[in-house]
Amino acid sequence: MRFAWHGTTQALLEIEALRVTPGERMFLRGPSGSGKSTLLSLLAGVLTPSAGEILLLGHDLAMLSGAQRDRIRADHVGFIFQMFNLIPYLSVMENVMLPCGFSERRRVRARERGGTVEAEARRLLGALDMADAGLLARSVTQLSVGQQQRVAAARALIGAPELVIADEPTSSLDADRRNAFVDLLFRECRASGSALVFVSHDPGLAPLFDRMVELTTINQAPETQMPMG
Amino acid sequence: MNAILTLALKSLRNRRGTALLTVLSIACAVLLLLGVERLRHESRESFTNTISGTDLIVGARSSPVHLLLFSVFHVGNATNNISWDSYRAIAQRPEVAWSIPLSLGDSHRGFRVLGTSADFFEHFRFGDRRRLELAAGKALDGPFDTVLGAEVAAQLGYRLGDRIVVAHGSGEVSFSLHEDHPFTVTGILARTGTPVDRTVHVTLAGMDAMHEDNATGPAADPLGAAMVRRGPQRQPGREDSHAHAAERAGGEEHAEDEHAAITAFLVGLKSRPAVLSMQRYVNEYPDEALTAILPGATLPELWEIVGAAEKALFGVSVLVAVVGLTGMLIALLTSLSERRREMAVLRSVGARPAQVFALIVGEATVLTLAGIALGVALLYGGLFLGQPWLEARMGLYIPIALPSGRELTLAALVALAGIIIGLVPGYRLYRHSLADGMTIRI
Repeated sequence: MRFAWHGTTQALLEIEALRVTPGERMFLRGPSGSGKSTLLSLLAGVLTPSAGEILLLGHDLAMLSGAQRDRIRADHVGFIFQMFNLIPYLSVMENVMLPCGFSERRRVRARERGGTVEAEARRLLGALDMADAGLLARSVTQLSVGQQQRVAAARALIGAPELVIADEPTSSLDADRRNAFVDLLFRECRASGSALVFVSHDPGLAPLFDRMVELTTINQAPETQMPMG
Repeated sequence: MNAILTLALKSLRNRRGTALLTVLSIACAVLLLLGVERLRHESRESFTNTISGTDLIVGARSSPVHLLLFSVFHVGNATNNISWDSYRAIAQRPEVAWSIPLSLGDSHRGFRVLGTSADFFEHFRFGDRRRLELAAGKALDGPFDTVLGAEVAAQLGYRLGDRIVVAHGSGEVSFSLHEDHPFTVTGILARTGTPVDRTVHVTLAGMDAMHEDNATGPAADPLGAAMVRRGPQRQPGREDSHAHAAERAGGEEHAEDEHAAITAFLVGLKSRPAVLSMQRYVNEYPDEALTAILPGATLPELWEIVGAAEKALFGVSVLVAVVGLTGMLIALLTSLSERRREMAVLRSVGARPAQVFALIVGEATVLTLAGIALGVALLYGGLFLGQPWLEARMGLYIPIALPSGRELTLAALVALAGIIIGLVPGYRLYRHSLADGMTIRI
């Protein structure tokens, strides 16, 4: 698989093969500017490779239309960002249930697990220590960063998507909270059978995972200076 | 799409301060746009309804607009008079159903005095063929009776039985008063919203008597007595009567149906199709240079002139609408940078770029539609409250009717413009979300 930004000939990513098995917890490590976020966008089908293929549950993302890729992402991928995960004008519950508004499949799966989408959202928040009524009533902008990340995790997990992608979700958390967050994430990924691709530049977390992949090792593209992380 | 609409509404609720201001500014723009449109329509309507049911207006040879101005709107003066003989000759033609003589040139404390006959109250029509109605008293009867327009009575505080003195010329201040012949207020007309409201109506006989008596005094109006032919700036009607008076050695009673020259007259025909041939007959009248106009044809011509201000007003209200919508564009654009993060999150949960686009355009649409709804509500509220005032003070009756086709078109244009304006930030975010993907740029 090869990826170059539009208008450049210089490849940013050139990866022979990278495989994530169902339910696997993979730690993807790379320094800033190594193309981590680009790789995640490729995995999620927001970007398409310049050459090669990306298979997600058997679908070749490069062969699909934008709308089809959006559909696959909505159905099968949960995403956690480094920060600003939440829609400020939605409540905690609404933020968690957001993917079910875009994906019929995740709505159905959420109902299978919790009875209703609301119940499943509340169950996930509970599992992430966020079930407190006071917290739920609060505006998402009033939550602490750690609380926001847990709401984002619940959103990524609702409807049990096959793949959860976390892009440096712990970089704004201190060490104690970081480990607690990763533990909670593991537990819920296992419960829903989701594979987890966890991206970080912090090697301290690596031993907790099934497998660690060094992006600089698998990327055969010559190193370039990229403006983005 | 449902999810997107819900998001749009919640996003607007979150920014309700800005949203409310935007809605308010659009509402004001719509209120102004539709209000001006309605005022424009109604004032035009009321203007063209100043006179109705009259087939021809006849005056001395002049431009049609000029004739209309002085005979109906009482603006400016006649260039010349019509002799009583010519009036009789035309009025007695078989095609003529009725005629109303008009003699102008005097004033009472700034209000025009119209010398006419009882036929005026019988045959004059305005608006939707409404006839003049008396609010109090009776129509003209004796020679020194006067019937006041509603505005005259209201402004000067006259009541039935009051005696008023008429002045020569049309100015507010006149040095030549016809003090010997006070008129008695015998009737006050109901409000019409036309120049009739601002007119003092007297009989032709009373007017003649007043001027003749003035003319008998040697110092009263020497110019008038001396000059039989006169320039346009003089008050022709009066001098003509003076001339007549001199010929008749003054002071004698007129024959029953014999008056001094008049300024103009209104004609109603028995059958409308005769109007063009009648007009040609008057325009080619051999004994005197006369002009006959069709009010229905000349009123729109005059409106073209006085209606220029109305076009400017409409232009201004269009600009206000543009400003209101620009305000929305600014509000939407300034929120864009903070919303790029939001869009990345929405993309990550599966929103398509088209849905991101729809979210922004949807918000603009909701804002615009809410603004239009509020604007229309304000318009009707304002009409409801302002209607009595407008009728009393401006003589402009604005019916509370459903929006006209033109008003609906204007509202639809505002809605369309609002949606198009929403496309600008919508497209920008769409481009961003395609390019950024889920990368959150701060």
